[in-house]
Amino acid sequence: MESLGLIGLAVAVITALVSLMVIATIGVKALRALRASWLKSHYRRIEPALEQYILTGLDQPELERLPSWQQDLFLSSLMVERLALLRGAGRDHLMRLAEDLGLVDRALSQLGSRRRWHRARAAEKLGYFGGARAAKPLGELLAAEDDETVRAVTARSLARIGTPEAVRILAGTLGDPSELTRLRVAENLERIGHPAVGPLVDSLAAPDLEAAQPHGAVLATRVLGNLRASEAREVLREAALNASVMDLRAQAVLALGRIGDPDDVPGLLEAAGDESWPVRAQAANALGMIGEVSTIPRLRELMSEGEWWVRMNASKALVNMGPAGEEALIEVLRGGDPYARDRAAATLESRGFVRRWTRQLSVEGRRGDRARTAVSALVEAGTTRHLHDLMETLPADEQRVLRGMLAEEQEPAK
Amino acid sequence: MNFNEVILAANYAILGYFFALNGFYLLLYAISFVEVLDYTRREVFGGYSELFASNYAPPISVIVPAYNEEATIAASVRSFLSLRYPVFEVIVVNDGSKDRTVEILLKEFDLRESDQPLRMQLETRPIRSVYASPTERLTLVDKDNGGKADALNTGICAANYPLVCCIDADIILEEDALLRVARPMIESKKVVAVGGIVRVANGCEVDSGRVVAVKTPRAALPNFQVVEYLRSFLAGRTGWSVLNSLLIISGAFGVFRREDVISVGGYLHDTVGEDMEIVTRMHRMLRENDRDYRISFVPDPVAWTEVPTTLRVLRRQRDRWHRGLIDTLIRHRKMLFNPRYGMVGTLAMPYFLLFELLGPVVELFGYIALVVGLTLGILDFEFAVAFFVAAVALGALLSVAAVFLEELRMRRYPRWKDVVKLTFYGVIENFGYRQLVTFWRVMAIVSFLRKNRDWGAMEHRGFDTEKTVERAGKGI
Repeated sequence: MESLGLIGLAVAVITALVSLMVIATIGVKALRALRASWLKSHYRRIEPALEQYILTGLDQPELERLPSWQQDLFLSSLMVERLALLRGAGRDHLMRLAEDLGLVDRALSQLGSRRRWHRARAAEKLGYFGGARAAKPLGELLAAEDDETVRAVTARSLARIGTPEAVRILAGTLGDPSELTRLRVAENLERIGHPAVGPLVDSLAAPDLEAAQPHGAVLATRVLGNLRASEAREVLREAALNASVMDLRAQAVLALGRIGDPDDVPGLLEAAGDESWPVRAQAANALGMIGEVSTIPRLRELMSEGEWWVRMNASKALVNMGPAGEEALIEVLRGGDPYARDRAAATLESRGFVRRWTRQLSVEGRRGDRARTAVSALVEAGTTRHLHDLMETLPADEQRVLRGMLAEEQEPAK
Repeated sequence: MNFNEVILAANYAILGYFFALNGFYLLLYAISFVEVLDYTRREVFGGYSELFASNYAPPISVIVPAYNEEATIAASVRSFLSLRYPVFEVIVVNDGSKDRTVEILLKEFDLRESDQPLRMQLETRPIRSVYASPTERLTLVDKDNGGKADALNTGICAANYPLVCCIDADIILEEDALLRVARPMIESKKVVAVGGIVRVANGCEVDSGRVVAVKTPRAALPNFQVVEYLRSFLAGRTGWSVLNSLLIISGAFGVFRREDVISVGGYLHDTVGEDMEIVTRMHRMLRENDRDYRISFVPDPVAWTEVPTTLRVLRRQRDRWHRGLIDTLIRHRKMLFNPRYGMVGTLAMPYFLLFELLGPVVELFGYIALVVGLTLGILDFEFAVAFFVAAVALGALLSVAAVFLEELRMRRYPRWKDVVKLTFYGVIENFGYRQLVTFWRVMAIVSFLRKNRDWGAMEHRGFDTEKTVERAGKGI
């Protein structure tokens, strides 16, 4: 009898739990629908007043009457949405409103909350309406915070604030142990733009950065390259040639290419002889970005490299150098290195050169001569598959000339 | 001990077993609830649009093994190419298809033969050709047939980027799926692999390779599987991930660090459970090398897959899954109850052995013993009710709790009708469907003992088409 009671109890408990789960599932959906409708009705009431404030900057009783928890719950969200888009007077009005309503003070105090999502939300808001005075507390949070999400949000907020102090803090955080935070810091420094260059150059020039924070140094280099920061050339040259971390050398070389100053060509040519192939590949890439025709012989040498990526970047660099580079690639087609020939042909094909030449095969004069020379180089190199593919797309005259050239096709040297 | 006592003892043992199993499940659920709650709160601050625009996110190679996929391959690849991620490439590995998979890809994407050498750091079947697109970040590797594992290994070798995302050719990825699934790896170098949730696409509206409206299927069979997937992914794998003991990353959608996959030797060819095997092997080797690592599961980056709609195909699928589980547990039996492998050796592996592998046997035996006991009058009505509570009612509770978790945090089913329907199926799947799957899984053990290593033919109906394709043999 006793066991029957226990079993009955177990059945009752399980049935109650299942029913509870079902009710909870339906209840959650219902509550969510109710909340959405409640928020919608409030937004409908508040939004006109907020818009009016943005336009005029005049006090709106509707906004001031809101209890502080409602200000924090949805007024601040509406303000953040607008601050993300606004510039000028409207933005200033909203920043002032945040100060006047005490939103900034409350967010600052929330930075010390024991609950991490409250800290994250406060940091997010301060990025929009905290202004210069929020930079220091956010910097302190960034240094002391354990949670990666909160750190990433804080980094983003500092970038939004964008004052010199905020930039200094961010540049000092490039070596953060979390890759996510480093990534956020880097992209935000890039977003800040020129004001970030000075602190980044200083941090890269610091003697211990590479050893202590190699990730930070690599990221600083990438940001400087993406910002095309010519002020950073000296420190980048130093990193490109003398850094012990291979990634740093490669990124510095690429950054110099992005900056695109011809005075850096000698350094890049030296980097093209680096012991690591990624650095050589980036050197080829960088030389292509600068586009100095005097570097063509070296790029042709790189076309015969053992590493595919170096050959690939060298061929891309040459093809970007106009007629002289095109000529160099045709010469490569006639060379003795089958891998270099294949790469040159693939680059010329993918950039549409081969298509263009085949359409000029029956043209009289220099243009036609050049096209015939180039196509005959492709035929000699044995890289004729694309020519066969193009045959049917050509006008009758060009088809006839191409057929004649292909008829003389030798067995590929390869 | 006479026969009656044996039956009685067996029934009590089985009853205890069910309480232990479901108690453990409830514990896992509690962990998953907390984790999913945390995940969804963190998502608010995800900043995915910034991550998408970032120059600094690590690039990903998406690897798509394809075997006789002519019906869907072009649409699938097009949808993969339109994913939102800063820098990624798509590598399709044609595993010796007998249909027009290669021709369709060559034509649709204007692919040309490429001279790019592949870094063959894993052993694979011979490669016939490599093609690249002049405009898209798309590579096609055409190779001899060697099975899914071999195709994945080839793709991993062909990958140019440090992260590799292995997916099935017939799944639909949500636009932001790569951003979300890569995030744990961006957050921490310790994370070596991440699995994403796979959901059931049957019933959903699909347009141009994208799920545009999430709905439940009409038929009962796929609805049961929707609940199963929610229970397994949302409640189960999330919990295991928190314990850093996740043993399976679905073959349909997972991201790995390329160097780690290569260092453990890539996917194994001679198993039908290559997705579980590789994750278990990663645990084993990383722990043996004293690496501080994590294998994570993210409950939100959604891959949609079509589940079987007939009992015949579903049986084959479950048979293969269970044989894969047995094979993995046997291969890595050294890890079982071995504290050297931490939580994986002392908790996850024993759980999979005792509850996942042997669970169906115990359950089936329990049903038989119950019937025998009741028929012979050895067991009374009270015991039958207790058995029902332990085996069925607790199961219903777990299923309904999974639907609750889905509605509480993930909210993928916007219609009231679908939520009610899933709750309903969560209850009734325990009356018939569950017992059927249990029987199939027991038969899978028999099939394994008979050394059956076949994949079994699967049917695939394209998402945008009514055409049904039969994929058989050593397929994917």
